[in-house]
Amino acid sequence: MADGPLRIGNCSGFYGDRLSAMREMLEGGPLDVLTGDYLAELTMLILGRDQLRDPSLGYARTFVRQVEDCLGLALERGVRIVSNAGGLNPAGLAARLGEVATALGLSPAIAYVDGDDVRSAGFPGALTANAYLGGCGITAALKAGADVVVTGRVTDASLVVGPAAWWHGWSQTAYDELAGAVVAGHVLECGCQATGGNFSGFLSIPDPALPLGFPVAEVHADGSSVITKHEGTGGTVTLDTVTAQLMYEVQSTAYLGPDVTTHLDTIRLADEGPDRVGLSGVRGSEPPEQLKVGVNELGGHRNSVELVLTGSDVEEKAAWVRAQLEPRLTAETVTWTLGPLPRPDADTEEGASTLLRCVVQDPSPDPVGRAFSSAVVELALASYPGFTMTAPPGNGTPYGVYLPEYVDRSAVTHAVHHADGRIEVVPA
Amino acid sequence: MRRPLGTFVHARSGDKGADANLGLWVAHDGSAAYDARVAWLLDLVTPSFVGRLLPEAAGLELEVFTLPHLGGVNVVLHGLLGRGVSASTRFDPQAKGLGEWARSRHVEIPEDLL
Repeated sequence: MADGPLRIGNCSGFYGDRLSAMREMLEGGPLDVLTGDYLAELTMLILGRDQLRDPSLGYARTFVRQVEDCLGLALERGVRIVSNAGGLNPAGLAARLGEVATALGLSPAIAYVDGDDVRSAGFPGALTANAYLGGCGITAALKAGADVVVTGRVTDASLVVGPAAWWHGWSQTAYDELAGAVVAGHVLECGCQATGGNFSGFLSIPDPALPLGFPVAEVHADGSSVITKHEGTGGTVTLDTVTAQLMYEVQSTAYLGPDVTTHLDTIRLADEGPDRVGLSGVRGSEPPEQLKVGVNELGGHRNSVELVLTGSDVEEKAAWVRAQLEPRLTAETVTWTLGPLPRPDADTEEGASTLLRCVVQDPSPDPVGRAFSSAVVELALASYPGFTMTAPPGNGTPYGVYLPEYVDRSAVTHAVHHADGRIEVVPA
Repeated sequence: MRRPLGTFVHARSGDKGADANLGLWVAHDGSAAYDARVAWLLDLVTPSFVGRLLPEAAGLELEVFTLPHLGGVNVVLHGLLGRGVSASTRFDPQAKGLGEWARSRHVEIPEDLL
């Protein structure tokens, strides 16, 4: 801990984000803490499938490569790394990072936080069921001196709330301060979406050839913050890029989180100069009694094909091929979508074409596998004029169904596994 | 005048389970009409307006939350994504382009706001 604001950056908005970002963020300017968010609803499903194949997996493997590349640099600069890359297996990730560090001749204090996996607490049969934990496990880990903290499913904002509460010594009932950090966390959690990525005002980005920089927040003791980015990086931080991220991540005006209920209608934004936007005035109140749980179940199997329809009589062509295919399709659900009708007299072949999409879904793999792809491919010389596909259909793939559920806090053991092996249970 | 909603309104959209989430807010483009534009947008965006703007969402449960301090609204389109990203058969299963579709739709905009 130190005086002054916490300077906290983000180097990942999802599992698959720019691999070089951890190094860019460490080299690009001063930081106290570097965070990375690797977990989306869909990611938990992907990790769940990974773990079905190999129980030692279930974490974000790209994070291991990033740490291998950057651990020495982070330790040298005194930057703590805090990430939810542990996914379904934070203990496994911490162990793997320990091996990586040893191979590098480094000895960082690596802590992990778990307790979010609630499959055994009333969600049997779910592929994954993870409670969205708050930041106090991270706070406790940092307080005990961790250089690297990895967690499972904590809320995305907890990656900022936990470090900010550690830095400023906030109590668990400092609701306004915590709510301020939640808002900063939401701006940071999606990486470059705060700095011009996925931004409808993209035409105003000063130098679009430069890779967009990742965001940084300076979080003050009263919970207010300034959103910025390292000097010289691409993109832009403006009232609009920050508003975009706030508008996107919220649902309703009272945002329910595990640490605090954040009243989004109290946020005040201020332009504080080039690439600096202030966030202040945020009010918080007591969090809800239960924790949200993200449940993924295997929903079934799916496959799809896109047929290209060109020229005249597109609707009739679509109708014929549908009539030919439908008797062959045994999947439980078959969904057809016809794209926009092509322009008449188009001067390119692509302009004269549209796509007919067929998606099949079934509880078992067979009806959407070979049975589906053969039925489609066998029509290649036996259907409408110009029959072609954007790609031949492959094997089917399993798909998941996401369900939001809730669990009592008493059913969750939020635990910090410190580097020295000590286990500390913190409030869930 | 009929103009695209995106003439001075920004948007971002995405998925939350089976629901799509859409933020719409007035651009900070230095216009003197900013406050009037915000008042217009907050008044304009109701569940029935969203159903007309995005006909694919008509019939869904639509919720609109106004955030005057942020100069815009958050719209939740319940069930637009079927059973979620992985199961959805929608063309854009994560609703990433929904905001840009909304911005490209033409609406009646008072001339003094342009």
